[in-house]
Amino acid sequence: MDKIKLRQICFLFAAMMPITKTIVYPATLAYTARNDLLWSALVNFLLEGAVIAAVLFLAKRTNCTFFELLQNTFGKVAARILYGLFGLFFALSALLPLMEQKNFVTVELYENVPPVISFAPFFALCFFACTKGFKSIGRVADIALPVFVFCFAAILLLALPQADFAALLPIGASGAKGIFGGALQGLNWYTDCLYPLFFLGHFEYEKGAAGKVLGSYAAGSAAVLVFLAVFYGTYSDIAILQYNTLAQISKYATAGTSLGRVDLLFVFSLVLVLIFYCCVPVQMCVHCISKAIGCPPVWPAAVVNLLLLAFTIFFNYSFAELQTVFTQKLWFVFALFAYVLPVCSLLLRRTANSPQKEKSRE
Amino acid sequence: MEKTKKRSPQPFAGEIEKDIAAVKEFLPADDILVYRFETEDKKACAAVYADGITDKELLGQLVAKPLSLSPAPKTAQDARQLLYFPETKPAKDVQTACDEILAGNPLLLIDGIAEGTTLGTKKVSLRAIMEPQTSITVKGPREGFIEDVKTNMGLIRRRLKTPALRFETMEVGRASKTAVVVAYLEGIAQKEVVREIKDRIGAIDIDGVPDSSYIGKFLAKKSYSLFKQAGTTEKPDILCAKMLEGRVAVLSDGSPIALTLPYILAEDFQSSQDYFVSPYRATISRILRTLAVIVSLFLPAYYVAAELFRLQLLPFGLLMTISGGVQDLPLSPSLELFFLLIVLEILIEASVRMPKYVALALSVIGALVLGDTAVKAGVVSSPAIIIVALSGISAYTVPDLTGTLSVIRLAYVVVAGSIGTYGILLFTALLAYYLVSSDSYGAPLLAPFSPLIRRDLRDSIWKADIYSLDTRPAVLRVKNKTRLKVRNKEKNG
Amino acid sequence: MNKFWTRLFIVAAAILLLLFFSNDFGLIDIQKTAVIAAIGIDAAETDGACDMTVQIAVPDQSGNGMASNVTVKGASSVNDAITEVNRKTGWYPSLVHCRLLLLGEKLTEKDVFDFLGFFLRSEFIDDSCLVAVCEGRAEEALTASSPVRELTAVSISKVLSSSSQKTGAVSVMILRDFAKGYYSPAASGYLPYISVKREAQSEQGSNALPSFLPDSTQKSEQRSTDALPSFLPDGTQKFEQRSTDALPSFLPDGTQKSEQRSTDALPSFLPDGTQKFEQEDGRSRGARKTFSPRKVPGRSCGTMHEGVSASTGGFSDSMQREMLFPIRNIGSIWEKLFPRRNPLPIGAPCAAGTESSGEQGGSKSGEGGQNADVFDASRTMLFYKGKGVSVLETEETLAFNLADTSTDLAYGMVEVSENGETVSYCLKMKIAGKKLSLDVRENTPVLTFRIRANAQVSDVSSSQDLLQVTQTARVPEHVLRAAEQKFADRLGQILEKSADTGCDIFGAAQRLYRFYPRRYDGLKDGLLANIRPVYDIRFDTLR
Repeated sequence: MDKIKLRQICFLFAAMMPITKTIVYPATLAYTARNDLLWSALVNFLLEGAVIAAVLFLAKRTNCTFFELLQNTFGKVAARILYGLFGLFFALSALLPLMEQKNFVTVELYENVPPVISFAPFFALCFFACTKGFKSIGRVADIALPVFVFCFAAILLLALPQADFAALLPIGASGAKGIFGGALQGLNWYTDCLYPLFFLGHFEYEKGAAGKVLGSYAAGSAAVLVFLAVFYGTYSDIAILQYNTLAQISKYATAGTSLGRVDLLFVFSLVLVLIFYCCVPVQMCVHCISKAIGCPPVWPAAVVNLLLLAFTIFFNYSFAELQTVFTQKLWFVFALFAYVLPVCSLLLRRTANSPQKEKSRE
Repeated sequence: MEKTKKRSPQPFAGEIEKDIAAVKEFLPADDILVYRFETEDKKACAAVYADGITDKELLGQLVAKPLSLSPAPKTAQDARQLLYFPETKPAKDVQTACDEILAGNPLLLIDGIAEGTTLGTKKVSLRAIMEPQTSITVKGPREGFIEDVKTNMGLIRRRLKTPALRFETMEVGRASKTAVVVAYLEGIAQKEVVREIKDRIGAIDIDGVPDSSYIGKFLAKKSYSLFKQAGTTEKPDILCAKMLEGRVAVLSDGSPIALTLPYILAEDFQSSQDYFVSPYRATISRILRTLAVIVSLFLPAYYVAAELFRLQLLPFGLLMTISGGVQDLPLSPSLELFFLLIVLEILIEASVRMPKYVALALSVIGALVLGDTAVKAGVVSSPAIIIVALSGISAYTVPDLTGTLSVIRLAYVVVAGSIGTYGILLFTALLAYYLVSSDSYGAPLLAPFSPLIRRDLRDSIWKADIYSLDTRPAVLRVKNKTRLKVRNKEKNG
Repeated sequence: MNKFWTRLFIVAAAILLLLFFSNDFGLIDIQKTAVIAAIGIDAAETDGACDMTVQIAVPDQSGNGMASNVTVKGASSVNDAITEVNRKTGWYPSLVHCRLLLLGEKLTEKDVFDFLGFFLRSEFIDDSCLVAVCEGRAEEALTASSPVRELTAVSISKVLSSSSQKTGAVSVMILRDFAKGYYSPAASGYLPYISVKREAQSEQGSNALPSFLPDSTQKSEQRSTDALPSFLPDGTQKFEQRSTDALPSFLPDGTQKSEQRSTDALPSFLPDGTQKFEQEDGRSRGARKTFSPRKVPGRSCGTMHEGVSASTGGFSDSMQREMLFPIRNIGSIWEKLFPRRNPLPIGAPCAAGTESSGEQGGSKSGEGGQNADVFDASRTMLFYKGKGVSVLETEETLAFNLADTSTDLAYGMVEVSENGETVSYCLKMKIAGKKLSLDVRENTPVLTFRIRANAQVSDVSSSQDLLQVTQTARVPEHVLRAAEQKFADRLGQILEKSADTGCDIFGAAQRLYRFYPRRYDGLKDGLLANIRPVYDIRFDTLR
């Protein structure tokens, strides 16, 4: 079976999860929540953390896969349909991060605007990754962690002297509407809680697993919160102008020196982590669809990646509209699939555990 | 070459002339000679041997002489007892005897005895044991393997004086009949790995095996992979160390390069000298090698991407310098660097093959003409020359990976020149995905980094002290994990 | 499956190689790129239009930088102007290395963000670039040639560097911070106000240093290598013999007189096709610090450059000279035989095309003259709603920097009366701690300046006895008190200007909003006028 280690799931949350929240999300959040963006993000993190805790609780009680649980409860056909729906959801949840990455790449990695073809090879890479399964997700998470820790810390250290944390005051200025409104509109960035559900049965639940995973998640969340704080402290009133925050925040330390934009090296390394992370929802989508159809992952991978490439080209000049639709209109879809359904999976029928597996868990 | 027809074994007739004729029918070549002599009682004897690979003096002294001074033996067993020679084997049929003759072991025929005897008087001109060119160390042993597998086995046996050391010899190659030896330590190496290796070697059906790299191709699970699938070494001390970690060695007659399996990429960043110097020095060396590989791979591509796509990567002062250097060049930065890398590869290839007496002249051409004059002529720029030179030198800090790095470096330049900075990252991600999904007999190629094996990190980029290396690498999944037991509780320093 | 991957790999490699060798995305590589080092924007004659000057860094074969200015007049927007630059030069302008935005004085009469907005929108220019206002036209400022023959943009950037900020001489501002201030509720900000000092061409064969009369007419004088001019308060020139490491001074006056042209000036074209010669900045010679002129009269030391401040450690240069008094004659003979290389004096002319190291500017001036201009950024312009509303003078700028920016070391002038005479003390001040806070007491906003500094005497206008010179680290009490008072006075002047113009330079409104949000609505109107300042300023002497 395609295995992933618990440690790798922890690394996924600690190192890969924070990266997508450092591109457009800070500016979007600042638009709604202004200086209360930390609280808004905290609401999302707590909500997502609760869902992860629920899924881990389920993992403790069973070592069936999610598909098997659905099958036990609703039958094979219904399980396939539901997996297909989840596959569509993963494709949907992958679209906006892909567009963000595309915009980030075209602005920060190029000086003259390249054609879309510069971004198209990403889908070739993604196609390759989709054929490799969960094992590859875990192993790139092992690579991503030291890269993320080192580069993210470097960027924050470069950015810290510029930050005026007093800009975060006064607390609560934007009110409950701002805070919860920001949280609601940010839901599409918080779909990582779904991944452990699909890792069920593919990893070994060991003693203290929940603590480790939630601890890693907390570490990743803390990294994002610190980043948001530094971001708002650096930009305050012009925060909403700053798309591609990750590449902007650290440039002031060395911009005027003979070193130039040396921070771009760290940014590029983090883009590597971003690439790994953007492949994950597509890999999950392919996993779901191949399970739903019952075929090897190669063909679903090809179709899904081609479709995503087509969407990327189609929406090339419509990112703002797309973002508006996702954040303001489709928030309930994300809430349903990423929060409600995973919690409801606690009610699914589990099969009896074998004695050997029960012993290994003790 | 046609497949050898399988014939039923032809027994010896017991009449010497018929038997000689039968052997000559199998081996009509002119270098297969017959030495006839008689016993004391005028019984005809003959030794059929291959000229050039047989020790004729030994044949005469230890075989022909005692027989000629004694009455004719009645049986082949009696004949063997007469000989002053320990290495004898009965040959019951002509085919077996012919194989032995071709291996350098002459066949002794005695008139009236329907059984031959093969004698282990093989004598092949071999080179001396010397330090291999690809693994030069300042400190540590200087011995290296040679082309004779038996000598190589002796070098291993000398270092591993344990009954657990096993050598299993197999024959590969229809024409070459190359001896391939699988060496491992019983109780340490994984049995499944040994079995799988032996099965794969046994399944090889090929005409000839001139080198161990052929065996390596058959042992590889991804034969088209750009990356090695088996470790290589020419030094017995390194090989023994790897066997003690739990790896299986494969030796091939005619090749000084031994293969080790399973293989992980981190092995190539280790040097035997790391274990003979202080761990701090070793750690620094390994970090330098890692940085050198990164520089070798990324620097040319980074330069191309910066010039073509992202000027801001270059600080202003450096940009002015580079920009001044590339003014009015006929080639774009990507083509310029590609061209220089190709020239570098040509130079390296030529320097390997050129006769020594023209090495100096060609070095001058390479340095002056292709370097200095090309810059003055405005064909290439100085920064590009510097980058290519630095990249080329850096690749040789890890000699085992040089070929792979050269190809990947070119690919990076092509990717950087066509897709740009993002292309470099995508290609890196592609390599990462490729490597993380590759394994070598159960050991992931990127271990101990991916998957992260904390215990094995002690001997990866950094080198812990000897007391910390008390267990075998976990990646090899050996059962006997302990390799160092400290008798006294106190440790030095 | 292996065949599938193999074929896929071959197709991908073929496509990649095709892209590589065709390299035709319409991308523009380094050979076709004009690296813009600075942009100057002036108000055009037509209302709502602008004249934009870009300074393009042109590398030569040796890798040194030269500058080429291109001016576009009457552009309706910055974007149009940049497109025009591309059209005129044939090179694609790259803004990523643009480190300086220079606004002409006249442009500040209207909202500067009418034009600065382009740079905020542009994804390709960093908002970490320096922004400044220059006296007169930015176009002319960018034609100035630095004494060390660097790019003008580089010279100005050095004047506006963070190291200058640390000495309090200059109020450095980057686009990000200026935009933050503009878009904040207070809509306030400030920019350094740069004046370009044109220097006369040096005479052949000498190290003549130029000087200015108060009416700003240039006057070149032949003098010895270590005679430096200075001015009395009435503006008349006075020769003084001093050691070669003394710095000259002259009146600051921004009006240009004559433009000297170097032999390798590059032409540039106006939109109507007429040629216009511009000063070439010459070859860069490595990092040199630029100087800002000292204020006159006498041996005042309003602001000093880094080189001198770095060189003075425990003992000041004047004290060292005094200690050597008994053997001064021998020393002066020695120095005449083996002249020391001075730090670059202000306004020293550099001959164009010379190979001199520029250490003693104009040391080989025989090959023809070239103007060497210097930049004075010691004043600060205040902005409200994007318009320039007031200017802080040099001492006010220094006071502002000491109070509210990252300045931690500065030199300031204090005049005290001693024995019936006015004595000027030049103090070196090291900020030990500072805090600017706003609180509300009895419905009145109180702005408290809490500053602690350690001072040391750097120079005195009159001679002193040996003991006083030895104890240069100890500042007399009355001098410390006078310095505190002067500091407070200057801060008060700034607050007055702030109240008069509406420019909330100290960020009072922001502080009120952040720390007293409930009181904000009630106090925000008329905040600046109602502020009651409290000065808790204490200078101590160094031990």
